Amino acid sequence: MKLTARYAFNAPPEKVFAALLDPIVLQKCIDGCEKMEKTGQDSYDAHLKIGVAGIKGSYVGKIRIEDKNPPQSFTLQAEGKGGPGWVKGVAKMKISPAGEGSEVHCESEGKVGGVIAAVGSRLVEPMAKKMLDEFFAKLGNQLG
Amino acid sequence: MIPATFDYVRPATLDEALGLLAKHREDAKVLAGGHSLIPAMKLRLSQPKFVVDIGRIPDLHSIAKQDGKIAIGALVTHYEIESSDVLQRSCPLLPEVAGKIGDVQVRNKGTIGGSCVHADPAADWPAAMLALNAEFELAGQGGSRIVTAKDFFVDMLTSATKPDEILKSIHVPVTAKTAAYVKFAQKASGFAIAGVAAVVDKTEKGVAVAVTGVAPKAYRATGVEASLHGLELSAATIATAARKAADGVDPLSDIHASAEFRAHLACVQTKRALELAASRA
Repeated sequence: MKLTARYAFNAPPEKVFAALLDPIVLQKCIDGCEKMEKTGQDSYDAHLKIGVAGIKGSYVGKIRIEDKNPPQSFTLQAEGKGGPGWVKGVAKMKISPAGEGSEVHCESEGKVGGVIAAVGSRLVEPMAKKMLDEFFAKLGNQLG
Repeated sequence: MIPATFDYVRPATLDEALGLLAKHREDAKVLAGGHSLIPAMKLRLSQPKFVVDIGRIPDLHSIAKQDGKIAIGALVTHYEIESSDVLQRSCPLLPEVAGKIGDVQVRNKGTIGGSCVHADPAADWPAAMLALNAEFELAGQGGSRIVTAKDFFVDMLTSATKPDEILKSIHVPVTAKTAAYVKFAQKASGFAIAGVAAVVDKTEKGVAVAVTGVAPKAYRATGVEASLHGLELSAATIATAARKAADGVDPLSDIHASAEFRAHLACVQTKRALELAASRA
């Protein structure tokens, strides 16, 4: 599953870069994120309760930030496991100035497995797209 | 797997059921025919704390024709619709759709109300409901409200039904015989990879075309409809219009069909549905 998207923000690249790596901001922006725990210099455990309608599941996602190149780019590695299945993905984030603000180019690639992939694979991609869109919309609101 | 632990309640009246939903809200799930909910519970994809079985509530099982409309109770099964003389005469699209749902077991137990509230992106009913501009009567503790099909199917697996509401009945118009439903089904599950409902109005020279299975929710192919408005239907005009069947949607993609294939099927099935509907007099 590959997802690519662009999002525009009113804030300058440095502010966007900092926000994307701030666990407090991230926890507010990820819908269903109950807790974001820092486990190392550039790693976190995200406790998520996500899904669609009645089909919600609890997942713990291990997140690692790599290739930090402030304020232009970084790579996010994520591995999540929960009752309904597992997910493993990598997202490359590029932040570039755009007028008064910035533009984020997010290129992600992921694999899904377990029950949710076996019976609900056609639901996974639209759900993932929706979650990404909602995350960046909330981030936009946070940055003002 | 077996379901996670749950409490089971079977209210005798609609008011009792609504009271339970008002009390438990998102912790409760309504059980009708069970053929979407129970598999999800067995896989533990759905883990409601309270299952509210509405199967024995009276007044939700009838099909009644009145003043150019037909009221179908939410608990009417797909089989009952398939074998209904009233519907065969007055709204033949519905028995045609019903006969293509799932398999015999699903048709015997599954209900039109349950299917619509579940709002699976590949279910058959949403296409027919959109093509017919059906109206949904939702009951809550404060009274009933009507939601049109366009507003009822909100998103993938999400209908306009609130956590404390129960779908009571669906109202469809009486139509001519010029309607059809064609479906390219996934062979194991029977779900639509592309299902198209077409209703042709030869007097008004208009068509209604709705597609399911292709996008995160069923949709009206407005590009197709606009292309054919006011035109005589012929193989040529239908073929040209059908090319717009996937315009403006983001098709789903999975191991059964890529997004490109779904978009292609939407066009092919639209052409077939319109030809079939137009040929019925």
